[in-house]
Amino acid sequence: MWNFLLERVFFIDPLALFFLAVIIIVSLPSFIYSFGYLKGEYSASRIRFVNFLLLIFVLSMVSVVSVKNCLVFLVFWEIMSLVSYFLVVFDSEHEKSVQAGLVYIVMTHIGTAFIIAAFMILRNYAHSFDFFAIKEACKIMPAAVKDTVFLLFLAGFGTKAGIVPLHIWLPYAHPQAPSHISSIMSGVMIKTAIYGIARFVLFILGVNSAWWGILILVLATITCLTGVIYALMERDLKRLLAYSSVENIGIIFLGVGLAVLFTSLKLHYLAVFSLAAGLYHLINHAVFKGLLFLCAGSIYKATGTRNIEKLGGLIKKMPQTAGYFLLGAMAISALPPLNGFVSEWLTLQAFFLGAFRTGGGNAIFLGLCAAMLALTGGLAAACFVKAFGVIFLARPRSHYAEGAKEVALSMRAGMLILSVFIVALGLGAVPALKLLAGIAGSALGIDTGSMSFSLNNFIIAPQSAPRNCLSTPWLALWLVVFGAAGFWVYRLSGAGKPVRYKTWDCGYYKLDARNEYTAAAFSNPFRVAFNFFLLSYYNSRKIWSSFYRVKSFSYETHTTQVFKKYIYDPAIALIFRSARLMRRMQPGSIHLYLGYIFAALILLILFMGKF
Amino acid sequence: MVIISQVILFAAAAPLLSGFIAKVKNNLRMRRGQGVFQPYYNLAKLFSKGEVVSENASWIFRAAPFVVLSTSLTAAILVPSFIFRSPAGRMGDFLALLFILALGRFFLALAALDTGSSFGGMGSSREMFISSLAEPAFCMAVFALSLRPGSTDISAFGAHPVTVSAALAGLTLFLVALAETSRIPVDNQETHLELTMIHEAMVLEYSGRPLALIEMAAYLKQLVFFFLIAQAVFPVSLPAGGAAAVFFWAVWYVFRIACVAFAVALVEVAVSKMRLFRAADFLGFALVLGIIASVCAILGA
Amino acid sequence: MQGIILFLFLISTYLMVVAKRMRALIRAFRYQSFFLFLATLAAAFSEKQGELFVVSGMILLIKVWLIPYYLEKTAQKIKVEGNLGLFVNSQLSLILALVLTYCSWALSRGLGFGDGRMESAAVTVALCGVFIGAFLMVSRMKAFTQVVGILAMENGVFLFASAVSGGMPFFAEIAVFFDVFISVIIMGIFVFRINKLFTHIDVDKLTRLRG
Repeated sequence: MWNFLLERVFFIDPLALFFLAVIIIVSLPSFIYSFGYLKGEYSASRIRFVNFLLLIFVLSMVSVVSVKNCLVFLVFWEIMSLVSYFLVVFDSEHEKSVQAGLVYIVMTHIGTAFIIAAFMILRNYAHSFDFFAIKEACKIMPAAVKDTVFLLFLAGFGTKAGIVPLHIWLPYAHPQAPSHISSIMSGVMIKTAIYGIARFVLFILGVNSAWWGILILVLATITCLTGVIYALMERDLKRLLAYSSVENIGIIFLGVGLAVLFTSLKLHYLAVFSLAAGLYHLINHAVFKGLLFLCAGSIYKATGTRNIEKLGGLIKKMPQTAGYFLLGAMAISALPPLNGFVSEWLTLQAFFLGAFRTGGGNAIFLGLCAAMLALTGGLAAACFVKAFGVIFLARPRSHYAEGAKEVALSMRAGMLILSVFIVALGLGAVPALKLLAGIAGSALGIDTGSMSFSLNNFIIAPQSAPRNCLSTPWLALWLVVFGAAGFWVYRLSGAGKPVRYKTWDCGYYKLDARNEYTAAAFSNPFRVAFNFFLLSYYNSRKIWSSFYRVKSFSYETHTTQVFKKYIYDPAIALIFRSARLMRRMQPGSIHLYLGYIFAALILLILFMGKF
Repeated sequence: MVIISQVILFAAAAPLLSGFIAKVKNNLRMRRGQGVFQPYYNLAKLFSKGEVVSENASWIFRAAPFVVLSTSLTAAILVPSFIFRSPAGRMGDFLALLFILALGRFFLALAALDTGSSFGGMGSSREMFISSLAEPAFCMAVFALSLRPGSTDISAFGAHPVTVSAALAGLTLFLVALAETSRIPVDNQETHLELTMIHEAMVLEYSGRPLALIEMAAYLKQLVFFFLIAQAVFPVSLPAGGAAAVFFWAVWYVFRIACVAFAVALVEVAVSKMRLFRAADFLGFALVLGIIASVCAILGA
Repeated sequence: MQGIILFLFLISTYLMVVAKRMRALIRAFRYQSFFLFLATLAAAFSEKQGELFVVSGMILLIKVWLIPYYLEKTAQKIKVEGNLGLFVNSQLSLILALVLTYCSWALSRGLGFGDGRMESAAVTVALCGVFIGAFLMVSRMKAFTQVVGILAMENGVFLFASAVSGGMPFFAEIAVFFDVFISVIIMGIFVFRINKLFTHIDVDKLTRLRG
């Protein structure tokens, strides 16, 4: 039986191995983390249950990326979705968890419906559910059918990945799940959708038209910007991280879209390069988003709240968690020499190299997309300055933050493992890139033996433009050297330790926690600048105790959920309206229904009898 | 070896550039004003002063000056100077420059939030806002400049004849530099009024030697930007000939940076500071200019 | 001999139609199943297949004894009054049953069983059982009659199978028995629960539940 399984069902190629590595790299530290995280919160039997669900979840994801039969893929895909639904509503006492679960399960089934439709069309042409048989049949498929299948796959996997406008389940589902589950969901589960796109569109369908890549690039750019702008406005830490996941999925799709575009234009080296950039960002995001969610869980466990406006000053109370969060924040803001920087640089390079080779309108389009990627990088940095600054720095803003203590050892161990991966993937960029290029080549069906991606083991240099170099180990070295030089100058040039005193603040000595900048205030310029998209509204109220003195001043600002309000709510209202219309046809009497059935049967018999 | 000498040269010249701009501004305002070497005296004074650190501050506040200085120095060695090949050119290219400066900004913004004063929060919020909007304009300028040589290496766009696209890209970089180096019309370096501070607000709580390091880093960043603009708009190539030709070449080399500085001073004096939210329009205009530069580069002009 | 059995089957079917109380209905069903058993036994003797003996034994066990016993127990448990609500009163139901018998005869002729007398009679009676079972489901108010109606249709199908082809394949018959048994148990449970929730099993009143 094992032979049967190995031959007919399972199939491990480099792409599958890569995703297996991603799954294991994120799941293991999360599991270690969960020992400390779940200990005080739930009873022992609940903890056993959640660990059991986690095991099924990870096994289903492992199976999704390693099967080669459409039906088996669907079975494991459904198991993955269902088990994650149970994990999201695990805290079922909270009404929000239940609502989040509902949104999640509906959206994921809509996506699965698209995928099933695409599989049915493919089966029609290939008369088999096996990936390789379908791949053979796709070579002779007519172009219109291929386009339809591509769009169905994009919609289906896009729902799971979180492409705008199919992303609305992400900010509901990720905050409500327990934190180590959120890290696995955000780090790994949405990446299985990227696996789906890579496997089905690149490997099986085969790309022929250029507009596929352009469509993916446009969607990805919109996703990036939407995700990061909404993340900037959030004050619930886990929702902020969820929106940031949407943004990073956009960046991964930028790499994938470029690969699709370049494959259709037959630029093989660039296709491999951009897919390698996309996959690099995939594993980077899995690692640093996993770490950030684990840190968010630590903060929640230590303080009891996820609202960053109530936190502050945690760096003195939880120094290790603060250090890990800082590392994660630096990585996600693409700061050198960490891993986020390498993958964003690679994606930007892919854009530029593509523009150099294609020229004309395509080049301007690619340049614009690159500029938008730079914009999202800047906005992401702003978002995480806000998050880290408001949570950890200055003074505590409420009693939640004052009572915080450092978290348990197992939680810190889980975070440490992921931090090691962040630094390793950043400094060891060249070996990682070579590995990923091999994987990308196998996914695209291009031989990468003759392609070179680096000058030596420390410097990345694309083959078509060998002077665009990047070397994270050297950068790290020089940064440290110069920092040390500055420190040496500092120590040598003067004596005496610094005096610790109250913050100067231009001479205002009654400074307390209320004077600190709030998160809403930090993101106010962004709210004003992007108001055309956010449609925020303000509400302020002043209460005067006399003509000259204001007793209290309240200021409220909300951003409209544009996608929910203008796309989903009307659609749901339409469905309910048509259901209510159809209800009039429903008499509700069983006897009448049975009578209908039998009358129809008799009529049919008579009808058939006549002929 | 070359790296060390380039670092020393840049570090020595950076405050002079700032002093030069201040002198020009004062002259245009019909004042005598401070001397050209005033920034050096300021730095010396700061090095001799003691330091007061806020009670709320953590290690980030203490570490930020060193990070900012090291990122500025790293940016400085990425830039090709008098030998036309960045001494550390194999370390990063134009795009890496963008991210390296972002690292310094990240830590400075965090340090500003660290003290718990409202000015710091305001400064870091505004700084992140302006810099994130400046990034796409910078990226488009890099794109326009790198289309002709087909490479994003900083040394690559050095030696070519002046083209419309390069000039426009240089103008885009000029506008971005105004934003990044906190010059009017985006920010005012001479004020400490809460409504108008951005960079100054972030460093408000610093004093003594760390403040000197931060100021030095700001001067270096400014020099790097001006150098890039000069290289884009007035490109030079290696001199040929004897000592006299080299001498004139060196003079022209310094003169063009002085030209850029003069233009900056002119803009600072002639234009008034914009409202913060108008800076978004300003940088959007820079982005459009960058797009036009790219289109010109593609069309071959 | 076989004709008498078929005739008695038909009479018991009519008895089900005119029954006004639950116990009468169940009793009529029991009679119908007994005559089905006799018919299957006769077919077993004539065809000389061992399996048919086993099948007839199972009919005796399950449909004559077990299922009516279970239905009576459930009827006792839910303690409703034994009156079966009728949409169509007894006399009219009987007339309609006669009409349905004519329809089934026409149908059996149309299906091509017109020549052999005994076979055509068997098919007519079987189809009549099916139609009258359906009629029971439509024209009676209480949920109980839905169950009995299904069982009556089942009896008709069995009779048809054993008359036409000497029984279905053995495993099919076993499977059908098992299905029927489980369905009855499930329906019994449901009736019980409906009664517990609504304190009546008047299916007609359930129209107020519509969405």
